[in-house]
Amino acid sequence: MRQQLEGSHAVASAVARCRPRVIAAYPITPQTHIIEHLARMIADGDLDSEFVSAESEFAAASIVLGAVATGERAFTATASQGLLLMTEVLFNIAGLRLPVVMICANRAVSAPISIFNDHQDSMSLRDAGWIQLYVESNQEAADTVVQAYRIAETCALPVMVCMDGFFLTHTFEPVELPTQEEVDRYLPPLRFPRALNPARPMTLGGGAEPDNYLEYRASQHRALDDAAETIAHASTEYAQVTGRDHGGLFEAYRLADAHTVVVALGSVMGAIKDSVDALRHQGQAVGALRLRCFRPFPSQALVRALAGAQRIVVVEKALSAGAGGILACELRACLQQAGSACPVHGFVGGLGGRDLTVNTLTAVIDAAAKSPAPACRFIDCHETGPLETG
Amino acid sequence: MTRLDFAPGSSIAYHTGDWRVQQPVYRDKWPPCSRACPCGEDIQAWLALANDHEWEAAWRKLTERNPLPAVLGRICFHPCEGACNRRALDTAVNVHALERELGDRALRNGWRHERLTARFTNRKVAVIGAGPAGLSFAFQMARHGVPVTLFEATDRPGGTLASGIPAYRLPRDVLEREIDAILDLGITLQTGVRIGTDRDVDCLRESFDAIFLAIGAQRPRRHPDGGAEGAGILTGLDFLHQVNTGSPPAVPSRVAVIGGGNTAMDAARCARRLGADVTVICAQGPHGSQPGHPDAEITALPEEVRQAEAEGIRIRYRLGVRRVVHGGGQPAGVEIARVDRLHDLEGRFHPRLFAGTEEFLPAGMVIFAIGQEVDWRGLDTLKTLSPPEVMVGGDAASGPRFAATAIGSGFQAASTLLARWVEGVTTHAERESREIPAQALNLAYYRPEPRQEPPASFASPNDFREIVPGLDAAAVEKEAVRCLSCGVCFHCGNCWNFCPDAAILRREDRFTVDTDYCKGCGICARECPCGHIDMESLLT
Amino acid sequence: MDTRDPFRENVLAAGHRACAGCGEAMAARMVTDLIGSEAIYVAATGCLQVFTTHNAQSAWQVPWIHSVFANAAAVAAGIEAALRARGDNTPVVVQAGDGGTFDIGLQCLSGMIERGHDVLFVCYDNEGYMNTGVQRSGSTPHAVRTTTSPPGRLRAGKRHLKKDVLAIVGAHHLPYAATATVAFFSDLQDKVKKALSIRGPRFLQVLAPCPLGWDHAAERTVEVARLAVETGLFPLVELEYGTPTSVMHLARQRPVEDYLELQGRFRHLFASDRGREEIRHLQALADTHVAHYGLLDPDRPGATEASVAARRHAWGGYARPRREPSS
Repeated sequence: MRQQLEGSHAVASAVARCRPRVIAAYPITPQTHIIEHLARMIADGDLDSEFVSAESEFAAASIVLGAVATGERAFTATASQGLLLMTEVLFNIAGLRLPVVMICANRAVSAPISIFNDHQDSMSLRDAGWIQLYVESNQEAADTVVQAYRIAETCALPVMVCMDGFFLTHTFEPVELPTQEEVDRYLPPLRFPRALNPARPMTLGGGAEPDNYLEYRASQHRALDDAAETIAHASTEYAQVTGRDHGGLFEAYRLADAHTVVVALGSVMGAIKDSVDALRHQGQAVGALRLRCFRPFPSQALVRALAGAQRIVVVEKALSAGAGGILACELRACLQQAGSACPVHGFVGGLGGRDLTVNTLTAVIDAAAKSPAPACRFIDCHETGPLETG
Repeated sequence: MTRLDFAPGSSIAYHTGDWRVQQPVYRDKWPPCSRACPCGEDIQAWLALANDHEWEAAWRKLTERNPLPAVLGRICFHPCEGACNRRALDTAVNVHALERELGDRALRNGWRHERLTARFTNRKVAVIGAGPAGLSFAFQMARHGVPVTLFEATDRPGGTLASGIPAYRLPRDVLEREIDAILDLGITLQTGVRIGTDRDVDCLRESFDAIFLAIGAQRPRRHPDGGAEGAGILTGLDFLHQVNTGSPPAVPSRVAVIGGGNTAMDAARCARRLGADVTVICAQGPHGSQPGHPDAEITALPEEVRQAEAEGIRIRYRLGVRRVVHGGGQPAGVEIARVDRLHDLEGRFHPRLFAGTEEFLPAGMVIFAIGQEVDWRGLDTLKTLSPPEVMVGGDAASGPRFAATAIGSGFQAASTLLARWVEGVTTHAERESREIPAQALNLAYYRPEPRQEPPASFASPNDFREIVPGLDAAAVEKEAVRCLSCGVCFHCGNCWNFCPDAAILRREDRFTVDTDYCKGCGICARECPCGHIDMESLLT
Repeated sequence: MDTRDPFRENVLAAGHRACAGCGEAMAARMVTDLIGSEAIYVAATGCLQVFTTHNAQSAWQVPWIHSVFANAAAVAAGIEAALRARGDNTPVVVQAGDGGTFDIGLQCLSGMIERGHDVLFVCYDNEGYMNTGVQRSGSTPHAVRTTTSPPGRLRAGKRHLKKDVLAIVGAHHLPYAATATVAFFSDLQDKVKKALSIRGPRFLQVLAPCPLGWDHAAERTVEVARLAVETGLFPLVELEYGTPTSVMHLARQRPVEDYLELQGRFRHLFASDRGREEIRHLQALADTHVAHYGLLDPDRPGATEASVAARRHAWGGYARPRREPSS
């Protein structure tokens, strides 16, 4: 049954149906409604879970680490500053190969402090060893978080589901939630063989030396690579149970004969699809590819999908200051590795919540058509803005 | 391994024992009390049994070396206490009272000595003199199945214990019953037989395979003054003998006792009980007046001196008798003068008196207790023979010493003989002779506790009842537990508790070091209360 | 698995790489054997974690997890929440050094206590960041030499006082908090037992001398710990809901010099007037503890002596037989 649901409410309900036994979180805009919904469900007896109000995000991540290490499903959510504060623990969770699932309600990072959406936070954690999935809609958010548990527990890798702060979390859209029965069918109870248990003692998290550390990392890298397949299957199987499919590693939009392809992550894809439609209407062979799985970076799938493109326009809401756009850079690298000479135009925009409208995006695509590919160009930047320093 | 989980306890594959440069060794020591005991009693061992309430086993342990604990627990000079390491914490353990308690308990319960073997040897031994040395020797031989015959010149066994030590220090029945328990091992006793007079030495040599001579030093030394003879003048030995055999002489109102040893004290205190005003004339100085020169201090035990003074006996120091003054067929008193040197140029005890310092001490009876010598009458042949055919022990060998010394020498002589005659008995070997001084203990683990003392009552006239009672049961327990068990493990568990590396393992009855892991930190040795653990360097 | 000793589990097995004479290894071995193997242990980064899980070998015979330096209390809270969710009462125990308790770990510790998690937090206090090379921590006492508080021409060691973490923890009004040390084993035993019998957040601060960092002979570890108590510098107390309910009374108060002179980390104080002033300061701090906690009570003398008195056939006080390991 479809309902008008705020994005936060939708994912909270989906999480609840995954039967987490421990939820730990520290409030930070724009994640707050997610955890508030969960707290309300627990208080009303609709969710049997321990809700731990952590004293910081660092603690929240640690609490879910401990819960999962004990063999119970757990959940946390954060954004921005909170995600950065968790950094040490997130790397640790991945190195320990614990199947933790979290939602990152993407938000810009300080300084300057901003509560509004972009992808700088999760992008900053791209090296942490977590699977990162980016969703476009509230529906996809709800569906993906269920898949996230399945993926995490199959691969013994943590999964971060990234949904745009405010644009998704605080926006009402029609959503069909998976039923409890569907979730129970899709998601078996957690069986974690390395769980902390006096009956089978083991030591988790010891030290590594120069002669064995590399192997841990190599193994983790391979596991992430191999996870791509699991991610794709998880999506297909979810579609079999619920009838809803948001694509596995990526979603293609009018890609088949596209000459110019716009590549992006997250909810901005809505406006991009409108721009593509407008340009198609004008006769341009434009298409779009929404990358759903950013980590592992699905190089082979992307190279195949973009084989026909002659121009790629990356629109991203993240920046590696001093280097340029992140997605653009990784995409360029994987194409070059595959021998492709397709130019990749990199555009960074929407930082700090600035809206990327259809008009803006159309202009970006146009601009890309008219000029060579700059490494990095800012969308809609007021060059002489008040914060510019000498 | 790639999931960062390590197998539990897998560190034991790494032998940290490779690190150490020193190693702990569990090693029993021979505590100072045992080293000082002339009988060589394993005092720590019998105290440990007493602490475990194994009273009979404690008594058996003690009597392995000394079959007269009820006696010695009353009269011994307890050098064990003088050496006791507990003095570094508070005060010595009252070994003396605990030994007495075990002896008394044995008598109360009728515990019997046991022979160590059911067999008898085909060789037999004669003992001349049934004093402490002879009884100790006979006891050891009899335990090992050697037939023993004890010849005693007087009418009762005990030697000085019977004739010389008064009843208020050593009740008659205690002595008799403890001797009976020894004789019960099957020792033949013939009293009233003086070898050399009543029986011939040669005949003895033919009938027995060996002879132990323990005749004591029963000839009293006489004062060089020729007038020191006659009525009213006795030796200490004679006086005590008369008192102890139940026919004390009548004493006048004033008695002078000459001498500073235990015989003198015993004589003085008996005379006091018989109603006299007693003065002791002692050539040496008081206890503590000549530190480092024990020969220059009164040799009687300090507690004897204290008790004598408490009983009203006057002790006058650094005085000697020049002559006895007679009047009307009995002594009027003694002429005494200050003593110069105690020993002559040959080191013999021969006090020189200062002219011009004389004074007159009135006394109707003079008792000389100025030393004893061995009486070899009729036994000169034996002097020329040597061990193992003839051995000499006790005061006969050493000159007047203590009962404990005599018992110890009886044991030594018996060991020598037994080593030759009985399979499996080696000559007496000391435990590894590592010392255990107080500095080797860790006194932090012992609580200071007051020493338990029996209350002494004081004599009333003509009261020869024992004046020092035993400790009551509660006091016995409190005192026994004061033993620090120097050098001998008592399973406190400190080493096992403290080892940071779990390199000390507990077994059923002891702890052991696991050398695979011991890093040699030395904490076990340092925190061992009793110094049982030695750290030995592994560096060359 | 380590099965060498039939009388004790040796939760912390042999073969670990602690320095010879390590007070923390000693304390951890004692505490974990008192708690036993039916528990889940969480470690903070530090000496104990490093020397027990090196080179793919582990000295732990129990379920054990180490995450990062600051979060042991939070990880434990997560474990406890998961266990509580399924009705499991397995004890959860944190083991952290003073770094992971007083400084970097303080926030997570506070949060864990405030939320009332049923976790026993044990701090092995060796008064410095020893694992990284003897740098000062909030627990390092006043005037101590460390590599980041070295004495020199202008300084006499650490400038600041030892943080009173017991008071901080006590201010949370948690059910039980106590100080203990390795030298007073039966006292430590009682306190661990008591802590295990109470539900809710509990805290133990166990003073653990470090021969390397404190610069004393390896064999003196226990003696140094004993003196810390007997001088009054490290009082042994119990707090329930924040109020002191028991203290270990001293037989007598030893002067602080008896304690300081055994350790090289205080040696510089004996070499100058400024140093001697700091000794007087330390004595004043000790005297303040004695007065504040009433450690010298004529009606309650000598608990220190009674606690350490060695007893015949005590066999160390572990009466528990070994649990058979499951396959």
